[in-house]
Amino acid sequence: MKAILVCGSLLLGAVALGILATASGGASDAERARRSLVGAQHEWASRAVWACDQRKLVVVEGVRPDEKIPPERAQLVADVLTDLMRFCNEEITARIATNQAISVAANGRVYENYVVGGPLPIVKASFGEPTQREQQIWKAELDKLVAEGDRLFHSDELGSNGIACAMCHPNASNTHPETYPKFQTQLKKVALLRDMVNWCILNPLEGKELAHDDARMKALEAYILAQRRGKALDAGKH
Amino acid sequence: MAVFERRQRVGLAALAAVSALAALALAASAQTLDLPVPSGVLPPEIPADNPPTPGKVELGKKLYFDTRLSTDGSVGCVTCHDPRHGFVDGRDKATSAGVGGALGTRNAPTVLNAAFLASQFWDGRAATLEEQAVQPLVNPIEHGFADQAAVLAKLKTLGDYPPLFRTAFGSEEISTLRVGQAIASFERTLLSLDAPIDRFLAGDAGAISASAQRGWALFNGKARCNTCHGRIDVIPLFTDDLFHNIGVGVKHIDFDKVARKAAAAVAAGASVDQLALSNAEASELGRFLVTRESKDLGAFKTPQLRNLALTAPYMHDGSEATLRAVIEFYDRGGNDNPYLDGGMRPLGLTEQERADLVALMETFTSSDLARFAELEKLVPK
Amino acid sequence: MYRNDMTRKEIQRAFAERSAADERLLRSLQNCDRRHFLRTSLKFAGMAAAASLVPFHGFQLVNVAHAATTEGGDPDVAFRFAYVSDSHLYARGMTHRFARAAAKAVEDMNALDPQPDFVLFGGDLAQLGRPDELALGQQILKELKAPVRMMVGEHDWYLDLGEKWKEMFGPDHYSFDHKGIHFVVLNSVVEKDFWTAKGYTPEQRMAIVAGLDDGRQSSFEVGEAQREWLRQDLAKVNKKTPLIVFSHSPLYKLYKPWNFWTDDAEQVQALLKPFATVSVIHGHTHQLLTNRIGNIQFHGMLSTAWPWPYAPQGLPSYTVQMLRADPFNQFDGCGDGSVDVLVKGRVDKHYNPWSRNPREVTAQQLAAKSLPGGGYQGPSY
Repeated sequence: MKAILVCGSLLLGAVALGILATASGGASDAERARRSLVGAQHEWASRAVWACDQRKLVVVEGVRPDEKIPPERAQLVADVLTDLMRFCNEEITARIATNQAISVAANGRVYENYVVGGPLPIVKASFGEPTQREQQIWKAELDKLVAEGDRLFHSDELGSNGIACAMCHPNASNTHPETYPKFQTQLKKVALLRDMVNWCILNPLEGKELAHDDARMKALEAYILAQRRGKALDAGKH
Repeated sequence: MAVFERRQRVGLAALAAVSALAALALAASAQTLDLPVPSGVLPPEIPADNPPTPGKVELGKKLYFDTRLSTDGSVGCVTCHDPRHGFVDGRDKATSAGVGGALGTRNAPTVLNAAFLASQFWDGRAATLEEQAVQPLVNPIEHGFADQAAVLAKLKTLGDYPPLFRTAFGSEEISTLRVGQAIASFERTLLSLDAPIDRFLAGDAGAISASAQRGWALFNGKARCNTCHGRIDVIPLFTDDLFHNIGVGVKHIDFDKVARKAAAAVAAGASVDQLALSNAEASELGRFLVTRESKDLGAFKTPQLRNLALTAPYMHDGSEATLRAVIEFYDRGGNDNPYLDGGMRPLGLTEQERADLVALMETFTSSDLARFAELEKLVPK
Repeated sequence: MYRNDMTRKEIQRAFAERSAADERLLRSLQNCDRRHFLRTSLKFAGMAAAASLVPFHGFQLVNVAHAATTEGGDPDVAFRFAYVSDSHLYARGMTHRFARAAAKAVEDMNALDPQPDFVLFGGDLAQLGRPDELALGQQILKELKAPVRMMVGEHDWYLDLGEKWKEMFGPDHYSFDHKGIHFVVLNSVVEKDFWTAKGYTPEQRMAIVAGLDDGRQSSFEVGEAQREWLRQDLAKVNKKTPLIVFSHSPLYKLYKPWNFWTDDAEQVQALLKPFATVSVIHGHTHQLLTNRIGNIQFHGMLSTAWPWPYAPQGLPSYTVQMLRADPFNQFDGCGDGSVDVLVKGRVDKHYNPWSRNPREVTAQQLAAKSLPGGGYQGPSY
């Protein structure tokens, strides 16, 4: 009996509060406008967007994690991330408030009123440049892939009739990878380099096409592109 | 001040109304027609001096179905390009027959979508529909007239034409040019690009069967069809508009010998006419007779493949009776000859693969052919 | 009928006249009865004239000036020989496309009428120098009606350094006289030893040499021993006697990375220089290639197996390039040809590229450097 009374009064109270709340035209016009912009339930929601280096983070306030960021705010997010990328290797968090004001936190400090492209008192890390050792490693890895592509390009193992790519394309001449994508008349549609590689394997070489992400396809592309270093990109040139 | 009486005023008003209507009708019949081309597809090329109008289409339609335009009254365009049979010849033979039942050497191609093609006839000798339409009229084994003058003489005896010429062209003058232009205008309305294969390629995975889908992969892969018969999005006709020797008719004649003689003659600067070719021999030299280039010996136009299932038999001489026979022809690598296109080679297709390709080609049949149902009623009995 | 010095207008007129004369032929295009003469409104002469009077790469009409058969033909031509070159055979049976192509060339040779005095085989009969490949080649060439003169290429040589070749086909360098011309056949693919120090096996050595762009091999040369032999051979020949030299590699320096190159070219050319008329016919480059250095004219032979792209640098300005091949067409860019030996000893080179119109490069054009179309400097790819 008592419980019912208590619940009942609580309920009444809640209803009363509810009525009060909705009746509180005490909220200013601006406040109401802001609320209607983001929705009362979204006041404290935010969505996080990471940059590709996993070190720059933008928190967008007023957007639920499962909600798409509206186009203008999304553009601002992209602009902020791109701009912050100049601080290589630094971990930075930017927070975009619902009124689009941006604050940036780095090195344990918070900097208010950040403007995209504007100065930030963060020292650029000096170790963003690749070291000699790193460059050596990267080149060795690339050379390895190119050498494998070279081997495949000159071998007869891609086809079934003994013909090698190098027979019609010594030193990858006449491959023109810099002109793709382009309409390839043999395929009757716009093709990428790897589409044409596959077509050649299937037709003049009478072999089996490779999957686009096959290691052999990557090696072949690496070899072909390495032979054409320095050629200007000219997509669609015939 | 002259004041018209009420009756006269009514009369005048009526006259004005009728004149206005007539003017409107005339204007309408002279208004350029919009051809039913789907979005994203390049429209057919139309000669600048022959924009399609309702008047020309009406005239062209009448000419098309009119068997009086032949020496024995039995042959019209409709005879070999029958709307009841996919706009090709519905009769039993491999090739078409003209006046007096004279059999020719060619398998009549479909008029459907012909407006999109870069050239007409199997050897591409006509650049436009206008040029093509008037040639059969003066072919002794087709419509049979001795020359264009004879065609016009016959036309002028047909009283129902002058008003149609006036509506179409503004005057009653009957000329070969106008005949071609009218028929071409009518043919330009015979467009049909909505087939299951199109819907499948637009993303509707259920539009064609699994067998046909395998066929499409083969078409673009092992069966090597797409390099000549590829479907380009902006011009989905399944043809490259080029000419290839696939060896179809080489067994009818001693093709090797005739072709090499023709090539030698051209290289020596001699006239091909001196070769004294027989009808059958000349017929099989194909595009060469138009260009006189030896690379075109035995070459014929890559036909479009839309509505293939309706346009049997196949090839320029109708020598392959069924789709299945066509696949087997290509599987063999065509017929070898000195000028065989190097793209032909045996394919090594399995039984299932052949069936899949046939299933695929059946999906090239338009789904909206009912649009042309009323034309079927115009076919003379 | 056409002369090299005709203006474009004159050619058009001559062509139109010829077209008028060909009207009797036109009826065959319409499948009609021989007895009926066809008058149509077709613009045949105009169409053909507009189509390709000076064809982009056919140059057929302009080049026709000199082409002729030997008997009863151009009195300037003393005799003719033909060639098949660079067949690169794998011993994988007659269905392999290289074998089919070699057989196709033999058919072309056998169809020549009149038959050439002999057929030159230009080198690279085998792909990897194997006995079974050489045997297959010998078997295919046995079908030739005309007598055969053999020349060796690097693909024939570097498996066993020519042992099998010499056993099957005789010496790798020799000379002979024919109808007043002194012919010399050289082995111009001698390479300085690059294999012993590295310990390569014969198969490895052959594989390295087989790679056009494989920089581990040495450059080609004729070599001191052979140059000495040549000097002695030529000492017996009157300086006024026309010379025709057969060599696999071009006897000049075109592009070293691909061994389109002879290291001692200058020394060899010096031996040839005293002669009034010298022509070199070479293989190896698998393309239409022309050059002239001083009094020596150089002509490349087509391969039956596959075309090479043009070298990125160093192309002679006398070469009117052929357009790159379509890889869909296994014969495109390949072919065979013949050589007219003129009474004065110079040569007119005829190319018979499959799937394309024939081309010729005449002695007169080279002498005057008046190449058709002003010498097309196409894409060096």
